[in-house]
Amino acid sequence: MKKIFAVALGILTAIGGFLDIGDLVTNAVVGSRFGLGLAWAVVVGVVGICVFAQMSGRVAAVSGRATFEIIRERLGPRTAGANLTASFLINLMTVTAEIGGIALALQLATDVGPKMWIPVAAFAVWIVIWRVGFSKMENVTGLLGLSLIVFAVSVFLLHPQWSDLAGQALSPEIPGSESAANYWYYAIALFGAAMTPYEVFFFSSGAVEEGWTVKDLGTSRLNVLVGFPLGGLLSVAIAACAAIVLLPNQIDVTSLSQVVMPVAVAGGKLALAIVIVGVVAATFGAALETTLSSGYTLAQFLGWTWGKFRRPDEAARFHVVMFVVLVACAAVLYTGVDPILVTEYSVVFSAIALPLTYLPILIVANDREYMGDNVNGTWANALGSVYLVIILAASLAAIPLMIVTGAGQ
Amino acid sequence: MHLSELLSLPVVDHDHERVGSVIDVRLTVSGDPAHDPGAPRLAGLLVSPRTTSSYLGYERSDSRRPRPLAALLAWRHRGTFLAAWADIARLGPEEVVLRPGYHRHPARLTTSATSGAARPR
Amino acid sequence: MTHTLDARLHLLDRQMLDANGAPVGTVDDLELEGEVGEPIGAGAPPPRVTGLMSGHVLATRILGGAPPASRFQVIPWRLVASLGIVVKLKPTDMVFESQWVEHWLRDHVIKHVPGWRSGGRRDAPQ
Repeated sequence: MKKIFAVALGILTAIGGFLDIGDLVTNAVVGSRFGLGLAWAVVVGVVGICVFAQMSGRVAAVSGRATFEIIRERLGPRTAGANLTASFLINLMTVTAEIGGIALALQLATDVGPKMWIPVAAFAVWIVIWRVGFSKMENVTGLLGLSLIVFAVSVFLLHPQWSDLAGQALSPEIPGSESAANYWYYAIALFGAAMTPYEVFFFSSGAVEEGWTVKDLGTSRLNVLVGFPLGGLLSVAIAACAAIVLLPNQIDVTSLSQVVMPVAVAGGKLALAIVIVGVVAATFGAALETTLSSGYTLAQFLGWTWGKFRRPDEAARFHVVMFVVLVACAAVLYTGVDPILVTEYSVVFSAIALPLTYLPILIVANDREYMGDNVNGTWANALGSVYLVIILAASLAAIPLMIVTGAGQ
Repeated sequence: MHLSELLSLPVVDHDHERVGSVIDVRLTVSGDPAHDPGAPRLAGLLVSPRTTSSYLGYERSDSRRPRPLAALLAWRHRGTFLAAWADIARLGPEEVVLRPGYHRHPARLTTSATSGAARPR
Repeated sequence: MTHTLDARLHLLDRQMLDANGAPVGTVDDLELEGEVGEPIGAGAPPPRVTGLMSGHVLATRILGGAPPASRFQVIPWRLVASLGIVVKLKPTDMVFESQWVEHWLRDHVIKHVPGWRSGGRRDAPQ
């Protein structure tokens, strides 16, 4: 049992990273419009995040420094400042979206309007960050988030035409009703979702929270190799469910109810209950991850004390910042903004922050001053360099594509 | 004086011909840097003919990885040399003036004082 | 035995930790003996670094220019215990500027919220 919990950090990072409210909906949208024709983008993204999370986990374990601290030290405050601005904005938008997402998921469960749940959700996130230990937090959220496996189970229960699904995934075609620009926009959105910068900030800060040292390099690797591929698998499962149920019936995904509809079709009320638990846990986990990331990045950039491993009175600024973030984001939600729309626009800032985040990680993972003999091997460097090119390409194409397609309309 | 007043200063030779810019200041520390290091002394200035800063230091280290980046940055900062203290006639405020017959020492840092994966404990 | 290091590469922007391992700021600048602009006599000894400077100067580090000297706090070199990927300081009574906000928030905000005492790990990383 203990072994399962050892990978909790990886699972939570992955769930919060690419199974948050925005991605749950995006995966369903993609499935309902393109079938499994964009599954390859998820695979590319998952391999990428594995390569870099592994590097940043190793750097944190060996040097004791979290990623953002290293960005400031090696790239200087100017570059780090640009990265911080972009990352902080992404975090703010995502926290807003996640709190909204928790409220939407609770509405699905209780039929009570989302606005009532917003302060409850924000308060719940805050109290967990304030009182609950890091390990317990990641174990419980990670475990409950695994309920999303019901999507994978549903794929089997729906008795799909496997050859159809495989055909869509392995020889993707752009459907006649969609433009190529839309196809590539969603490819970048899925790739960006898998590699969102706050995942590495959270993962490496989490490594420091857990006190990983050189002895824990194996644990770090296990976390990466279990957590992120699992997240990728569930992403594809969500798209597959939508491809099986929504695509043939031309059902558009406009809200959370269409996202979970295939599960209800497959397994009835029980499956629906399980998936709602999973969605609440996943959005809650994402809210925790992004709120903590806002605290981590700001504190690490400015050199403040940070971390849940410290008592709140020893990291006052860290906790105050996160509280302010939660209040501000909850307030924004009351203006009636659609949380899912907010995440679509955070893709823009992700695109800018991607190269600024991953280049320093690659550099530091090679730096003997920080890593001693644990510097990158040839494979890590080769993959890392290839991915930097992909990241740069995605980063440059993201904004034009977003404008041309009107964010995927 | 402050380090910030020296970084990025233009460097000229005795005839006021531009030679480059200060991208870093080399210091020597007596004793073990990890145990009560003595106050460092200025050993010289790192001068780059083409650029005004170098965050990453690839042109000075033996590190060659990741290969494409290291090669790119080493090429960008090529020609970087160390101007020893003895060759410096004046430090600022507008420029650094080198003495006639100054020697361009290699910029390579052969031993890093802070090497090793020292965890902050 | 002498060791060589480069100021910007190895000292600037590095974290400073106090004797208990808590972060107290970053190295934002270095103070050296001597004045800029003075001609250097032949055979003059090289200037020494007399202190580390830390302050709320992020804006100028990012945008350029130099802030007035009063915004910096100078930490004399004799307080430096070790240099590595972080700079560790010796025990001292000196109050670090960066801690002022931290202490104010701790005393006026955090301590009024129940649960501020709990949490933290015995074997917390420093």
